[in-house]
Amino acid sequence: MTDKRIDAILGTEEELVPSSGFLASVMERLREEAAAPPPIPFPWKRALPGFVVAAGVMGWGAVELVRFIGPAMAAVKLSPPHVSAGLARPLEQAGWVAAALVVSLVSYLVSRRVAG
Amino acid sequence: MSVTVQSAIEDLADVERVLAGDVGAFEGIVGRWQGPLINMAWRYCRDRGRAEELAQEALVRAWRRLASWRRESSFSTWLFALAANVYRNDLKRFPVVNLPIEDIAEPSRAADQQSRVEEKSRYEVVRRAVLALPKRYREPVVLFYFHEKDVAAAAQTMGLPEGTVKARLSRARELLRRRFPQFEKHAGMETASAGKEAGV
Repeated sequence: MTDKRIDAILGTEEELVPSSGFLASVMERLREEAAAPPPIPFPWKRALPGFVVAAGVMGWGAVELVRFIGPAMAAVKLSPPHVSAGLARPLEQAGWVAAALVVSLVSYLVSRRVAG
Repeated sequence: MSVTVQSAIEDLADVERVLAGDVGAFEGIVGRWQGPLINMAWRYCRDRGRAEELAQEALVRAWRRLASWRRESSFSTWLFALAANVYRNDLKRFPVVNLPIEDIAEPSRAADQQSRVEEKSRYEVVRRAVLALPKRYREPVVLFYFHEKDVAAAAQTMGLPEGTVKARLSRARELLRRRFPQFEKHAGMETASAGKEAGV
């Protein structure tokens, strides 16, 4: 198929004529929207104390968690496998890269899910 | 005064009235642009009912965002870009064709006494194949032919540089040529047989 042929097929479409009630239905929808009361704004002033309290509780919870887990972790003696000094640094960097990749993947999946 | 200039003047006057609070003034805009918007939506989905729904959504969206038209471009350019955005997003959520273009069958060879109806249906297969093109090539084709082969207008509607649109169009044509290799041959035969019948 040549470009000329493609142009001939795709360039010649029959014009659709809007159905008789189209204009009226658009205008009806607009009038309904115009008559509807404006959306209620989010009550930031009222919600602000709630946000502050929630943030405080979460911060306090995090502090308590660290205080609880800290001594428990200190009691556990971890014996990491022996690696030579030359390998330790690249392994540590690779760990950070892997962690960053996991975080990126999770945020990508979450954003896709939210965007729906 | 040309029709385009007259329409631009009327658009501007109606927009000013709508922004001043006269909802009824939008009727002029709907009247002038309903046809083009429905035809544009039709090229995106090839479903009449859905085309009208999409066009209605585009017009309602235009009414809500009328204040964001900055008069730097013409009203029609702004409206088409907004409509393309509405159509694109809707088709992303509910695609029309789920087949890749490789799976679209080429129309069978036409009989010599083929009627115009059959020819039309073969053309329709090609038009529908456009909807099966990969996303990045589909829209340039749809808008290029909607804007009567005006690359600049298609590029403005998509908000892409003209060069990009040209490159994508070229690639889209290549895909269509590859998908329908026999089409031209048949078309040639039809023309020849039609000529014979007409005694040419």
